[in-house]
Amino acid sequence: MVPPQYYLLLAAAVFCIGVFGLLTRRNALLFLMSVELMLNAANINLVAFSYYWGNVTGQTFGLFTMALAAAEVAIGIGIILVLYRNFHEIDVTEATTMRW
Amino acid sequence: MAGIFDFGPAIVLLPFLSFLIAVGTALSGRDLLPKGGAIPGIAATAGSLVLSVAMAAAVAGGEVYDETIYTWAVGAVPGSDGLELTFGLLIDPLSSMMLVIVTLVALLVHVFSLGYMNDDGETGLPRYYAGLGLFTASMLGFVVADNLLMAFMFFELVGLCSYLLIGFHFREPGPPSAAKKAFLVTRFGDYFFLIGVVAVFATFGTAQFVGTEAAPGFPVLAEQALAGEFTANTFLGLGTEAWFTVVGLLVLGGVIGKSAQFPLHTWLPDAMEGPTPVSALIHAATMVAAGVYLVARMYGFYAVSPTALGVIALVGGFTALFAGTMGVVKRELKQVLAYSTISQYGYMMLALGAGGYVAATFHLLTHAFFKALLFLGAGSVILAMHHNENMWDMGGLKDKMPVTYYSFLAGSLALAGIFPFAGFWSKDEILFETLIHGLDGQPLLLVGYVFGLLAVPVTAFYTFRMVFLTFHGDARTEQAESPESVRWNVKGPLVVLGTLATVAGAVNLAPVRVLTGAHVDFLHAWLDGGFSDLTVHHYAEIDPYSSAYIGGELTTVLLGAAVSLGLALLGLGLAYRLYAVPEPVEHTDKLGSAKDLLYDNYYQDEYQVYLANRVVLPVARAADTFDQGVVDGAVNAVSSVSLFSGSRIRRIQTGVVSNYAALVTLGLTALLVVFGVLGGWLL
Repeated sequence: MVPPQYYLLLAAAVFCIGVFGLLTRRNALLFLMSVELMLNAANINLVAFSYYWGNVTGQTFGLFTMALAAAEVAIGIGIILVLYRNFHEIDVTEATTMRW
Repeated sequence: MAGIFDFGPAIVLLPFLSFLIAVGTALSGRDLLPKGGAIPGIAATAGSLVLSVAMAAAVAGGEVYDETIYTWAVGAVPGSDGLELTFGLLIDPLSSMMLVIVTLVALLVHVFSLGYMNDDGETGLPRYYAGLGLFTASMLGFVVADNLLMAFMFFELVGLCSYLLIGFHFREPGPPSAAKKAFLVTRFGDYFFLIGVVAVFATFGTAQFVGTEAAPGFPVLAEQALAGEFTANTFLGLGTEAWFTVVGLLVLGGVIGKSAQFPLHTWLPDAMEGPTPVSALIHAATMVAAGVYLVARMYGFYAVSPTALGVIALVGGFTALFAGTMGVVKRELKQVLAYSTISQYGYMMLALGAGGYVAATFHLLTHAFFKALLFLGAGSVILAMHHNENMWDMGGLKDKMPVTYYSFLAGSLALAGIFPFAGFWSKDEILFETLIHGLDGQPLLLVGYVFGLLAVPVTAFYTFRMVFLTFHGDARTEQAESPESVRWNVKGPLVVLGTLATVAGAVNLAPVRVLTGAHVDFLHAWLDGGFSDLTVHHYAEIDPYSSAYIGGELTTVLLGAAVSLGLALLGLGLAYRLYAVPEPVEHTDKLGSAKDLLYDNYYQDEYQVYLANRVVLPVARAADTFDQGVVDGAVNAVSSVSLFSGSRIRRIQTGVVSNYAALVTLGLTALLVVFGVLGGWLL
């Protein structure tokens, strides 16, 4: 049995890659992908702990999270389409008209 | 209780209905009603008069009525069973008598207005009749009020109506300013009245005049409190009696304002700017009478406070003389009458203060008739003279307008207190009561008596100076040569009131009772009926006075009557000698600078304006500065801190998603670091 620390390290690495992408990229599609990475990091944790405790509840939640991620992507893509229609590009730093 | 008293509210509501009709007409802007809306007013006041007489007849049969009609607020008070604010109807001998006076005078004034306003081609008549209707309704509401708060509310309505009616000719410069003055000066007194009402509630937990056996009204409670049977709340660390005096004097503030007593009398002469029928209504039956009526209404409360009674007597006596002297030099007909009104109400206050409850009520009755008569007579003269009020432009009107002359003469004889006219009996009784109570070791009352006695010849003098200048001698102007004739609607009310002014004294011939032993003091018996705590008999028991005589009651009666009649005849004789000549001259000029002092009303207006400008205005300015600077300043300072910091902090909202993400990440990291250092949750 692989000890849970390895899974946790993997999840932490994936999460950090997601955060890095979120902080450095300006392309909205890459934003979406980074968020997906972070969600999957959380998923890995859920499955790893589920495996460790021998309890399938965590895996069930993993399935739910995937469905949630799919829904989130659908909405995210929709937002990006609208962004493109209004600003003719998908650079998130350009769309600043909604502030004070 | 069923029967006639169930129609009680209609007495008040009928004139109110006529007010609504007139207002509706005025708002529609079309000439919907004949006579500019006078007919509903006449019908309503006539209806009220009929009902009032029916009530009086029921009261004469020994019935009384005190019912709460509507409770509009119930409040919980710590330490008592709660406070009820109500509207109610109290019909007893005093209020039923006053109802008849008010409705009768109001009816006659409405009829007279047909001649004075309609026939004279005035515009805005619906507004005028709306004012009259509301005025009558509020005064009637005041008269039937069964508690002090309701009385206060209608008291204020009366003040509002006086404002509306005095300022009827609002396009001229004088009336609006006079209306404002009347409103403000009486409001000043009413301010104290309002505090007094609150004080009565706080002290007794009720403001009912009568109440029931289980929950008596406040005059009875005051009596019980002094006897130690009831614990009244007192304030300011005062003893029970001292506190009652304070409350009584607070309410008296409103009375002094409305009844135009010194020093708040200054509004009344200016109020002559209003149409003459309005003056008659204000002076005879409504506004000015309200003050004296209020004291009579809650007389049981004043009777237990000797100090308050002393103040009332002294203020009244002083006002009687003070106002009378100013009437001596005035040139305008209505001005003389205005000062005589102030003076006569001074007599009533003197009587109330001196324990002469019946005498004051009696004078209220007779004065209502003869003063309404004099004002309507003056209105008739003013009509005939095309609105010239200067007596020096009149003269010789005696033969040209005999009905006005003879009725005016009857009113003047009554005002001057000449036997056997109404005013003689009532004024004589006031002076008699003051004298016998003063002789029993009450120096304050003796001072009031001297004031009252000195005012008698002054009254007779100015009254007959007015009569002789107006009606006798030669006509001094063309208008007086050929006065315009007046119609039935002017003469009718004059004749009715003239008759009443002549014979109304017969309702209370107290001196005759002393002389012959016959029970002809009907008013005395009348006011001795009704609720047992509100009878003359009861008041005489609780007031602090007892009587003393100069050599027996009979001698005192005759002596007092002879002295006052003699002084009145003296004043009349002097006026006859000086002014009943074909070409009178201004003899008052011989008074020199004293005349200027009198003509300028002892500079009362000037010092009040001075007080307003130099004392009240700076204080108000200082208060305004404090309000704007300190109170508003504190509030503004707090809000400007928020505004400023908000305007700076909003800069972090850049609109760039990456920045938000960075902030969120930083926050999460910081949280994790804190957790790491502390080893868990902060708690």
